[in-house]
Amino acid sequence: MEYNGAAIVAMKGKNCIAIGADKRLGQRQLTVDTNFKKVFPITERTYIGLSGLATDVKTLHDQFRMRVNLYKHREERVIEPKTFANLVSHVLYERRFGSYLVNPVVAGLDKNDIPFICGMDSIGCIDLADNFIVCGTAEENLYGACEGLWEPDLEPEELFETISQALLNSVDRDAMSGWGAVVHIITPAGVITRDLKSRMD
Amino acid sequence: MEYGLMHQEPNQHPVAAPREVHNHGFYPYVDNGGTVLGICGKDFALVASDTRQSNGGYLINSRDTPKTFKLSNGTVLGSAGFHADTMQCLETLEQRAQLYFHKHERQMNAKAMAQTLSHLLYSKRFFPYMINTVLAGVDAKGNGVLYSYDPVGSFGEVTQYSHGSASALLNPFLDNQIARAHQTGVDHSALPSREQAIKLAIDAFTSATERDIYTGDWLEILVVDSDGVQEIKRELKHD
Repeated sequence: MEYNGAAIVAMKGKNCIAIGADKRLGQRQLTVDTNFKKVFPITERTYIGLSGLATDVKTLHDQFRMRVNLYKHREERVIEPKTFANLVSHVLYERRFGSYLVNPVVAGLDKNDIPFICGMDSIGCIDLADNFIVCGTAEENLYGACEGLWEPDLEPEELFETISQALLNSVDRDAMSGWGAVVHIITPAGVITRDLKSRMD
Repeated sequence: MEYGLMHQEPNQHPVAAPREVHNHGFYPYVDNGGTVLGICGKDFALVASDTRQSNGGYLINSRDTPKTFKLSNGTVLGSAGFHADTMQCLETLEQRAQLYFHKHERQMNAKAMAQTLSHLLYSKRFFPYMINTVLAGVDAKGNGVLYSYDPVGSFGEVTQYSHGSASALLNPFLDNQIARAHQTGVDHSALPSREQAIKLAIDAFTSATERDIYTGDWLEILVVDSDGVQEIKRELKHD
């Protein structure tokens, strides 16, 4: 799980969600890509972040894209974040005895604009949180930073500042993550995506 | 048909006679858990620690064993790791402080103490004190100083640092709140005031207690300035 390096964090705010990740792809100590996507849009209002083995991150993103498209054809509606989280959990548990080496984070707004975030272990155990979810090689760093900085009912711009500070300061204490960061803020009005200016090491 | 062509017999390496395996396993160290942190201010410095001591597993040895200590020359030490080594190192360091005092008829200053601790730790380079320490004091001019060490004595002057089981959780938070890393439009050279530093230490430990099982029970803070050492004790979650 430490081969490629990652730092992913999602936070709940007042009627909004933030999800952010670093951009490094490494092979142990060698940095191979500085623009590697780990957070993907599933629908316009649901995002998933995946940390862990990069090949599994890519494979699972494609798997989820297929399953969500099939869902849309069958149900004739867009998938809700909670439903998608359960879908992810199912896909991971299918591989219970030969698992994907990933830790997913799901974040989104449901059809009533209620924020939803959850994390999962590599075999799909859902961790429902009221505040924030963290994963990756910088997991412990992120736990401390989020626990210290998060407070309930932050507005979108305040939430952006909070998640950015948590992410930037955490990856600076982790050798395997960093080299740039991206944050998505999901509000009922739409999604704002910002690249963070960070240390490139 | 020759089966030999279709089924290749794997090369049988000669196997050595099995040796008797003994599993005595004496490991001389134990991680007693817990966290310490140090913050440096303009005219003061502080060390803080929780008071929980664990046995390396799920058992609690004590809820009230602080990891911060006052030394007779006016410096304060915080140390996380193997508590038995902490006590031994502390005793030896205190002896050095007293020997200096009796020889030179004055107390060792903070910088000299820092160097002494480094030598003391390196003297056991090949059977180390399994401790991670911070040393805080004030220099001759009354400015706060803080030093952070690894188990074999490598040290440097810092403005903030934490060691121990929740150090990974606290260091990014301290970098952001003390050194104001990644903050724009602020004075990065400004050090925190006494009240700010104490409040941050308390906030840091309440956060650490939430997520780290080895940190909790009580928090003890020692604030040192040119007037002496102030002790502050706060309760933390006991779960």
